[in-house]
Amino acid sequence: MTAAGFIVRNALRNKRRLSLTILSVALSLFLFVTLQTALRELTEPQTSADAALRLITRHRLSVATVLPQKYLNRIRQVPGVVAVSQFTWLGGIYQDEKNFFPQFAVDADTIFRVMTEISVDPLQVAAFAKERTACIVGIKTMERFGWKVGDRITLLSQIWNCSPELVIRGVYSGGIDESNLFFHHDYFDELMDGFGKTGAFWMRVRDEASVQPVIDAIDSSFRNSEAETKTETERAFQLGFVSMFGNIQMLIGSISTVIVFTMLLVTASTMSMAIRERMREIAVLKVIGFNGREIFGLILAESFGLAVVGGILGCGGARLLYGSVDIYSLTQGFFTKFEVTPHIFVSGLLLAGALGVFSCLAPAWASIRMSVLDGLREVD
Amino acid sequence: MPAVPFSYNVRSIRVRWRTTLATVLGVGAVVAVFVMVMSLARGLKATYVQTGDPRNLLVLRSGSTAESSSQITREELARMKYLPGIARDGEGRPYFSPEIIVLIYLDRLNAEGGANVLVRGMGEMGLAVRPGVKLMEGRMFGSGRRECVVSRGIANRFANCRIGESFSAGKADWTVVGIFEAERSAYESEIWADADEVRAAFNRDYYGSILIRPESEAAAALVTERIDSDLVLNARVLRETEYYKDQTRAAGPIQFMGGFLAAIMSIGAAFSAMNTMYAAVGARTREIGTLRVLGFKRRSIYFSFLFESVMLSGVGGVIGCLLSLPLNGVATGTFGWTTFAEIAFEFRITPELLGKGMLFALAMGVLGGLLPARFAARKPVLDALKA
Repeated sequence: MTAAGFIVRNALRNKRRLSLTILSVALSLFLFVTLQTALRELTEPQTSADAALRLITRHRLSVATVLPQKYLNRIRQVPGVVAVSQFTWLGGIYQDEKNFFPQFAVDADTIFRVMTEISVDPLQVAAFAKERTACIVGIKTMERFGWKVGDRITLLSQIWNCSPELVIRGVYSGGIDESNLFFHHDYFDELMDGFGKTGAFWMRVRDEASVQPVIDAIDSSFRNSEAETKTETERAFQLGFVSMFGNIQMLIGSISTVIVFTMLLVTASTMSMAIRERMREIAVLKVIGFNGREIFGLILAESFGLAVVGGILGCGGARLLYGSVDIYSLTQGFFTKFEVTPHIFVSGLLLAGALGVFSCLAPAWASIRMSVLDGLREVD
Repeated sequence: MPAVPFSYNVRSIRVRWRTTLATVLGVGAVVAVFVMVMSLARGLKATYVQTGDPRNLLVLRSGSTAESSSQITREELARMKYLPGIARDGEGRPYFSPEIIVLIYLDRLNAEGGANVLVRGMGEMGLAVRPGVKLMEGRMFGSGRRECVVSRGIANRFANCRIGESFSAGKADWTVVGIFEAERSAYESEIWADADEVRAAFNRDYYGSILIRPESEAAAALVTERIDSDLVLNARVLRETEYYKDQTRAAGPIQFMGGFLAAIMSIGAAFSAMNTMYAAVGARTREIGTLRVLGFKRRSIYFSFLFESVMLSGVGGVIGCLLSLPLNGVATGTFGWTTFAEIAFEFRITPELLGKGMLFALAMGVLGGLLPARFAARKPVLDALKA
């Protein structure tokens, strides 16, 4: 009998225990992967390669403070700026408060030159640009409400005193968030009686080298004016939002720790159960010439194998599950994506491996130290 | 039917405490996580539920569901201020506070970054209509002055918010002149200043909402009726408490997370309990045979092992509850989607929540114990004795 065969036979001798243990390890790793993915989705704003060239100018005080619309012209003239669009958060609801999704009033002629990574049919863009009340909607929101191009919708803003009545002229896909709705800022201004204000300016700059000069040029241009600005990269802007969630990171981190700790306990206790019932056999192995290191190797391999199988089931299961369900509609838009990245997957497996090693240390140590005589005398 | 004495289970556990301990702690961890996450949701909800006075009425623009999106003009204000039915103080001033909320960005005290904080501009009766709020230090802001009072929570968490310090927001510098406490309500996350000063500093022509204290329940109905039926007014009336109760939706995602985590973790813990119980049954096969010979019925054996499992998880539940208790009252904050500002709240662990945690633990014990107990009860006597 080979060593591998011996280990497998040993592991399989109590199939019920084996499967219960593997399942509990798998469940724990499933949770671990879920939490890490949730944490990543919440705290690491996903930005595409394009986003590095995208800047956002907002009011220095807060994202919720508006800027004068006339800033648009001055920003447009800053060298290095390729395209700039107004970006005003409507904060509207569709029919019911539950039906929340992001909507922005934007400049129809420039928005798709700023948001370059999203793809829309050029014909639809043209149709959108022509019509004052037109809007373009992300594919996820279209699917969520079962909308079709040509449908008319009314949004009730929770922030502004207006209710835009829009007609869907196009659908976009791609980009980080496929749930947005874009409509004409001109129409928004009209509804707001010539409001003259805008939430923020989103722009695209020519190349990496222009990022800092553009930031400096814009912010210094509005220093000491009625509304001072803060310009930052899209990523920095998103991180600002994340920090407002407070210590959610700590919360999820501590829950993950508790889970890992529980897993360790459960696996270690199973391993010690498994080893204790074979004290006699270990003593026999010693009698026929196996040394401590070899016995440790046998135990380690069994424990490690068990944990890794659990790990593959748990992490792989999470990956498969989250890959196949529509997390966007399931969480009603709370998560737009829920991707188990290779990084998270591998760290789950590593955790499982480490678990296998650590959980067998104490019982293995005890069995190696045990004298042959005591072992042979062991009854149960 | 004679039951197997409980002391048998207790003593058995004592003998096998090493393997049992892991299961107990596993159940404890699940209960602790459940109670902690749920207490977070509770705390957030409680903050909103505790805000507002049941007697007060809040006036918003019709169609508006949040103070931030509501607008009330000065003309509308004048129409409402002297409506009959509004209570008055000793000097004849109506309990009527026109309010406006704006957001400012403040740096955190002793930490990186900052957060949006809600500034509430209010009329001279603003404090009087909120009897739950007490000015603890300093004085109230002066009317027509660029002064403000901050909640204790804000003073503790944000820079430049102690008495005598000042910060800049809008077109003005605001000096902190007092600190208030608001019985852990949503007001604990606010800064208060004079409504007209706030409007001037932030270029607002309008007010956002009006808080009114009617003389009585009957007067409340009268005021509501008058405002609702006035065609000149584009306003609607609701109870202040109702308004804040509606905000408890914010706790939904946290609650979902707590339930999800607890459900999956508890299955894992039940597996672990099952493992332990199967091992216990296996190790005590001869004892089971002996018990049967002594005359104990299968049913008694069954319940004895089931009881043992439930007892294990019960102990685990108690440990879990104890582990979570230190969190009670710990302050934290999160982002409020309705106001776009940070809302501060405390973890709140109630006896009811602990009870739920214990129920959870016991359920895990039952789930984990059912099969092993049946396994034990079905062992044939002779085989068991021979083992």
